[in-house]
Amino acid sequence: MAALLKDKGTVTFEEKWPAMRPTVLKLLRQECVTRAEWQDLFWAVHKVCLWDEKGPPKVQKALQDDILDFITHAQARVLDQHEDQALLKAYISEWRKFFQQCNYLPLPFNQLESALAGKTTTSVSKKVHNDDSIVRKLMLDSWNASIFSNIKQRLQDSAMKLVHAERNGEAFDSQLVIGVRESYVNLCSNSVDKLQIYRDNFEKAYIEATKAFYRVKAPQYLEANGVQNYMKYAELKLREEEQRGEKYLESFSGSLQNLNECCVEVLVTTFRDTILAECPTMIKNNETDKLQLMFKLMDRVPEGIQPMLDALEEHIVSAGLADMVAAADTITQDSEQYVEKLLDLFQRFSKLVTEAFNEDPRFLTARDKAYKQVVNDTQVFKLELPSKTKGIGTKTQPESKCPELLANYCDMLLRKTPLSKKLTADEIESKLKDVLLVLKYVSNKDVFMRYHKAHLTRRLVLDTSADSEKEENMVEWLREVGMPADYVNKLARMFQDIKVSEDLNQQFKESIRTTTKSSVADNLNIKILNAGAWARGSDRVVVSLPMELEDFIPEVEDFYRKKHSGRKLQWHHHMSNGTITFANNMGRFDLDVTTFQMAVMFAWNQRTHDKISFDNLRLATELPDPELRRTLWSLVAFPKMKRQVLSMSGEVTSPKEFTENTLFWVNQEFAPIKNGKPQKRGKVNLIGRLQLSTEKSKEEDNEGIVQLRILRTQEAIVKILKMRKKISNAQLQTELVEMLKNMFLPSKKLIKEQLEWLIEHKYMKRDDENINIFIYLA
Amino acid sequence: MFTLKKWNAVAMWSWDVECDTCAICRVQVMDACLRCQGENKQDDCVVIWGECNHSFHNCCMSLWVKQNNRCPLCQQEWSTQAKGVNFTRLLISEGRWAGEQEV
Repeated sequence: MAALLKDKGTVTFEEKWPAMRPTVLKLLRQECVTRAEWQDLFWAVHKVCLWDEKGPPKVQKALQDDILDFITHAQARVLDQHEDQALLKAYISEWRKFFQQCNYLPLPFNQLESALAGKTTTSVSKKVHNDDSIVRKLMLDSWNASIFSNIKQRLQDSAMKLVHAERNGEAFDSQLVIGVRESYVNLCSNSVDKLQIYRDNFEKAYIEATKAFYRVKAPQYLEANGVQNYMKYAELKLREEEQRGEKYLESFSGSLQNLNECCVEVLVTTFRDTILAECPTMIKNNETDKLQLMFKLMDRVPEGIQPMLDALEEHIVSAGLADMVAAADTITQDSEQYVEKLLDLFQRFSKLVTEAFNEDPRFLTARDKAYKQVVNDTQVFKLELPSKTKGIGTKTQPESKCPELLANYCDMLLRKTPLSKKLTADEIESKLKDVLLVLKYVSNKDVFMRYHKAHLTRRLVLDTSADSEKEENMVEWLREVGMPADYVNKLARMFQDIKVSEDLNQQFKESIRTTTKSSVADNLNIKILNAGAWARGSDRVVVSLPMELEDFIPEVEDFYRKKHSGRKLQWHHHMSNGTITFANNMGRFDLDVTTFQMAVMFAWNQRTHDKISFDNLRLATELPDPELRRTLWSLVAFPKMKRQVLSMSGEVTSPKEFTENTLFWVNQEFAPIKNGKPQKRGKVNLIGRLQLSTEKSKEEDNEGIVQLRILRTQEAIVKILKMRKKISNAQLQTELVEMLKNMFLPSKKLIKEQLEWLIEHKYMKRDDENINIFIYLA
Repeated sequence: MFTLKKWNAVAMWSWDVECDTCAICRVQVMDACLRCQGENKQDDCVVIWGECNHSFHNCCMSLWVKQNNRCPLCQQEWSTQAKGVNFTRLLISEGRWAGEQEV
């Protein structure tokens, strides 16, 4: 204590420094410092700061001089090396030493820090973080200002030379480059942006060097090895550079991303068009590996993928259509072949997208778009919709026959046919699912629905379904793929009706069991169906039925009326059918016939061997002209039958050529022919495709599609307007297509006409200021 | 020469109504009304006849009479003459519906 007091006023910088300096120098040189020396230094710094008012700046100045002096020597030692690797090695070793000391030397000068900061208490010194230390900053800044700025160019150049050598396949000590980078990173005393020196110098140099390297190499390689090899090269180099970057560049600094961008730019973007030019050929040749590679490369480049998508679309459309056109002869005749061709195409294109583009959603979308075009193409065959409709004169565009053929194919799978018998239940199920898959791409699903329902009606009425469980599954599947609910509900209702009818039949038979008619009733089967779900036109055909049947009609009607008050029945004899036995000179045969055919044939029961004229047959059957012609035609010229049930006078090539006087008679030589021999017994089906509507209403049928579309479009427009109140033309069109897509694709023209119609009928109006805006009028 | 062995007769039933369309919801009476279509209750949507012989969906009319107990078409006081019966429901209620058990 006494000594301390005695010292008071006598402690000055000049007095203490000579004792402090050797320790400082030892520390700088990384020489051994004893515990005593180390502690003395603390003590000395403390005293100078405490007693000498001018001490702290002086200490700082002296320290700086010594540091600079040390650095100058270090620089000399580094610059002695002329060879790159040796230079780097020397620099790194000097730097490491120095940098290590940056952690130690500041410690004794903690007191100085606070003194310089204008504070006198030592207690706050703890708060001064090592990194922010003035002495440390002094050390680093000095290093930066002298040695670094003098030789950084050489350092960088040397480091980059090494990297360059590595790119050319020479091995060297990567620690040299890493060491240099670390010095760049640690050197910075800017606490806000610690990576500033690194970024401005090292990273920049590294990226420049990379760019320069590939700017020379890449075109050379491309020239020498062609695009396909170049893609492999580029992909390889991108990966290599990424790994190299991870090694030599600072992670978490964004450097890797910058490097990556530079590599992509110089290796890929520069040659984008050249590479992309190969795409269509590769797609055509199904070179999935190469496409995969191209996809990987182009996915990194701005606007690299779009041309590939375009190429894919173009390929699908042109290859798809070319295939269809080439097979036109078979597929236009045969629904099965057509659908299988379509599925085959779909699977082929999907495989391509999977193998080449990893099912990337953008490529899947392109596939869907193009496939849709193939499916809805009208080149091979088209469905002619009528060009004129009642009231509103509309010319429709031809449409693809696809939906009709899909429905036919479904029918072949669901009906008892050679095809459905050949297949297992699982196979049928997977084929039906395939149909639904294609159906997804069909624009005009309403056509499919119409045909599908017609086929289902025939299967249910004629009881020709192969598998009723599958039939009902199909209804649910249609619901799942988004077919309109009212449509699917009607189908479901049809199945219900059939079941209800079975029950009804039982009851009816029971009710007349006791009467005399019961024997005939056993042969009778009635189907009473919901007109809302089943009926198409409201046409009604008159026909005179065989007496025994005619008698039953009122019986059934009475029975039904008792069961269900408030319902009326309408007989659809064009859908009724039955089996009759035909006995002639050749034997006895069971014929499956329509009710019309039955009515015609029964005309001969009273005059077996007579020849009856067309005119008299009309009187006997009461059938309308077109129906009678058609029915007679099916009996004199049933397809693929060697001997027909009826014979006629004269030769005709179509039912139109029958005249009033054409004579018909029963062919007593009729017999089914098997293996060239007439049979004595057998069952023959003369129904063919069951007629669901009359000749007249058949024309109305296609008109019905158009008419329904008009109504649906109007309905959808009103729905949208009701919701939006005010909507632009463009948005209305988009929402319309979205709303109607599960039924049909409304044409621009159709939309326009319906808009006009709705405006005219005051459902909506155009905005006064902007004619492209529509306003809902309640 | 020709003898009948079997006959499958097809008939369509529809509600015995003067007008095919329900004047309240503007949907054909043979179809379910819009509400039932939306709620998938087609089977329950039957027709109702008034003493005036006008007919509507039962569901539409039951809502209508809450506000105005007159026939929307002739303005006569509404009184029900008859109501359609849903056959499927009837069978189910009598326990005779075979549809669901069938495989």
